[in-house]
Amino acid sequence: MAGETPRIALVLDATGAAAERHAQALGGFLRDGLRFSPEHPADAVTHLFYAEESARERLLALAPTRLVRLVRAPPHRPDLMAAALAAFAAGGGAELFVFGGPLGAESAARLAARSGGGVLTGVLDAVAAAGALSCRRHVSSHHLIGRFELRARPWCVTLDAGWLDAGFEPPAEHVVQASTELREDDSSAPRLCDDVEVFEPPATSDLEAAQFLVVAGRGAGGRAGVERIATAADRMGAAFGVTRPVVMNAWAAPDRQIGVSGTRAAPAVCIVAGSSGAPAFLWGVERAGFIVAVDTDEHSAMAGEADAVVLDDAVTVLEALADIVARERL
Amino acid sequence: MTALRIAVGFKVTPDYEALRPADWARAATGPSAHGEAVRYVRRVFNVFDEAALELALRLRDARTERGLETSLVAFSVAGREADPFLATLQALGYEGARVEPDADLDFAPATTAALVAAATRHLGGEVLLLGSRCGPGDTGLVPFLAAEALGRPSLPGVTAVEPAADRLRVTFSAGDQPLRATIAPPCVLAVGNALVSLLRVPTLKDRLATRDRVVTTLTPADLGVDVPAALSREPSALVGLETIDRSRAGVVVAGASPAEEARALYEEHLHARLERI
Repeated sequence: MAGETPRIALVLDATGAAAERHAQALGGFLRDGLRFSPEHPADAVTHLFYAEESARERLLALAPTRLVRLVRAPPHRPDLMAAALAAFAAGGGAELFVFGGPLGAESAARLAARSGGGVLTGVLDAVAAAGALSCRRHVSSHHLIGRFELRARPWCVTLDAGWLDAGFEPPAEHVVQASTELREDDSSAPRLCDDVEVFEPPATSDLEAAQFLVVAGRGAGGRAGVERIATAADRMGAAFGVTRPVVMNAWAAPDRQIGVSGTRAAPAVCIVAGSSGAPAFLWGVERAGFIVAVDTDEHSAMAGEADAVVLDDAVTVLEALADIVARERL
Repeated sequence: MTALRIAVGFKVTPDYEALRPADWARAATGPSAHGEAVRYVRRVFNVFDEAALELALRLRDARTERGLETSLVAFSVAGREADPFLATLQALGYEGARVEPDADLDFAPATTAALVAAATRHLGGEVLLLGSRCGPGDTGLVPFLAAEALGRPSLPGVTAVEPAADRLRVTFSAGDQPLRATIAPPCVLAVGNALVSLLRVPTLKDRLATRDRVVTTLTPADLGVDVPAALSREPSALVGLETIDRSRAGVVVAGASPAEEARALYEEHLHARLERI
């Protein structure tokens, strides 16, 4: 297919939370993460799924491409989204679907299964060449990066969470190509939920914006140790996060978690106290300007991946450091 | 609700944290080398699958308290390395089954999902619980592809499941948004960051009572799945691996006591940086 131009559809699920960030991820990926060989100008259209008519204009303004197809759909129905997109693909509408939004993985999987296409999640970057889409993504719990090829079309991909921070300005004007509505009974699949309830607002984490971050790991030794490190962080004016084992032991709340299944932070200074440095955690702090590891294990992965290392008890060192910082910052 | 059968698909994975950087460098030399590098590492439950197994036990316990009949079956698409884990699950009240794939499915989510769906049909299970992600592929696709193959709806990021009249009350997460919904089986639940993450330990009495219980062993042919054909249709193919270089300076901060180390850390590395924040 050298020289052929795959038609690109960005799929923005704006029926749930964080539509703006997912729109930015799609736009950033289209701008920086997707290449074609030979080069050609990408002509992409955004399929914008939204639930409330009152939100339509606000969400339309987020669309990362000038061309937009608006689809009003009930929330939490990736099966309906997949059915609509499968019909679009079958009609020759697009050969590459890039999904953004909380239901992206399920929609991508169901679309690929229904249309016989290729699918990959968590894509870091992609190159379309010689009839295949070549993508990279993390594998083996973030220990390695795998290179994958998708041959059967349509190619359906979701993006690595790192793209959420891509930063992207949407076009000033949009052209709505089509506007449709999906109804609950449009799909033959059984209806799953009748009373979906948002029981707390989506977390707007202070961890993402923190410039000074302290993270406690299992080396804190228990809930008391974690709380002492949290107190030290507070005295230093730092945000406080924890690793997954700390959350799993119920020593801290889940919204404090840093890493692949928590928050990805980008502080100027990050102090990691008592963590072995599992790759899934490191992904959450690797963009920090300066990393300090405090732990008794000089052979830990964390020690090898920090700018400065203190080989001592994490709780004691953090409390001593808090004394100094609190005094100096008065 | 009438009797309910709950199936849980699980995988035992190498304990990746036990591998050294040199092992990962060797693993990155190719897809086949990856399997070789991790083959002799001790096995553990995939963390999300372990949470799914415990959530199913708690759901059974809650239903039993209400006088509702519930049966459990756990299965793994795996070789004999899964047998000790299946023995533990049988002691906890699960029926156990193993599907021998006779092929490396580490990076084959569609084939794995086809076997999971077929095993669920064969073994029964109106509710199928699976971990959201599992190494080494970590695609998170298997629950959704299995749901599609079974013609069932699914929920992502499930963290709690409770009985509710004739249905189930499920807490789940779509992206960062925590949600709760009442659902009717049949369904597929992809278990995410559940706080209930550790599987309970069976008593010695339960272990002894179930030690002679046989694990059902199934082949893909028993389930009507042609694995070579399914592998040829995989929606993506792994063509190479790369290591990730995260190395930094790693300067060791010296001191005779924690207080001295903290002072040196502040003066040599943090003072100027914190001033700029």
